[in-house]
Amino acid sequence: MENILPWYIGGPLLGLIVPLVLILREKQLGISSSLKYVGSLFASKIPFFNYKRENDLWQIQFAFGIVIAAIVFSQMGLVTKPEIESSKAYVTQMDSIYDLGNWLLFLIGGVFVGFGARYANGCTAGHCIMGNAQLSLSSLITTICFFIGGLVAVHFVLPLIELI
Amino acid sequence: MKGLITGVLGFVFGAILIASQAFEWGRIQEMFYFESFHMFGLILSAIATAAISLVIIKKWKIKSVYGNEIIIHPKPIRKFGNIVGGLSYGLGWGLTGACAGPVFILIGIHWSIGLIVFVGAVLGTVLYGVLKEKLPE
Repeated sequence: MENILPWYIGGPLLGLIVPLVLILREKQLGISSSLKYVGSLFASKIPFFNYKRENDLWQIQFAFGIVIAAIVFSQMGLVTKPEIESSKAYVTQMDSIYDLGNWLLFLIGGVFVGFGARYANGCTAGHCIMGNAQLSLSSLITTICFFIGGLVAVHFVLPLIELI
Repeated sequence: MKGLITGVLGFVFGAILIASQAFEWGRIQEMFYFESFHMFGLILSAIATAAISLVIIKKWKIKSVYGNEIIIHPKPIRKFGNIVGGLSYGLGWGLTGACAGPVFILIGIHWSIGLIVFVGAVLGTVLYGVLKEKLPE
């Protein structure tokens, strides 16, 4: 646990991104609309994607920054691996979590994330952090559902996949 | 310039998620097994800090660097969307350990897996676009 940024520092820092994005870019924190922007680049015939995508451009720039951070941290050897002691977790029972052998799982999981983010109108950043900070009922309901969905995936779906 | 500032903010956001291991699948699973307080502490303290910041912005009428008033819109309630969309998103989050932000971290660290989740997520977004008219709000 030594090489991890503790939650009581990381959490408040994450929270401060909300006012920073508002003050420096006049936007409400979110990231999943970047996926809508990308979708609109090649599926513009669908009415849903026929919109003013310039409004979502900032999320592409934001996402670009995230990718750069990941590359920099990775190249500098600063990415720390969690030491998970759980015996139950699926992750501890595989040689490598991010193995290409799991590609189908990652693809399908990704589809659920993308679909859900648009249907719910937000993601962990937009609803869970930004929305809940506004004490929005919509975000509270959505966050609870995020969590229920995650519990189902980890307790029921992953153990099934493990059997196959 | 605006784009550069936004990119830097994304960089900081990503750096925090990496340093706190919030993007790691193991951490997400640990959270769903209630075996560690880490992720809960991270999310709850982030919400609290953001909430306090919003109160301060409102109270002191803090303006943006462009001199405009900061207006915050709450997301509207969508009964079906919030529930069904939320459950779908949570399912994907639990299956891959990656929510929308960490997808981009995966692209930078485990690019092959990251791109697969990213393609899946874009396909999911397109799927929503196709089905939108048929789905109850």
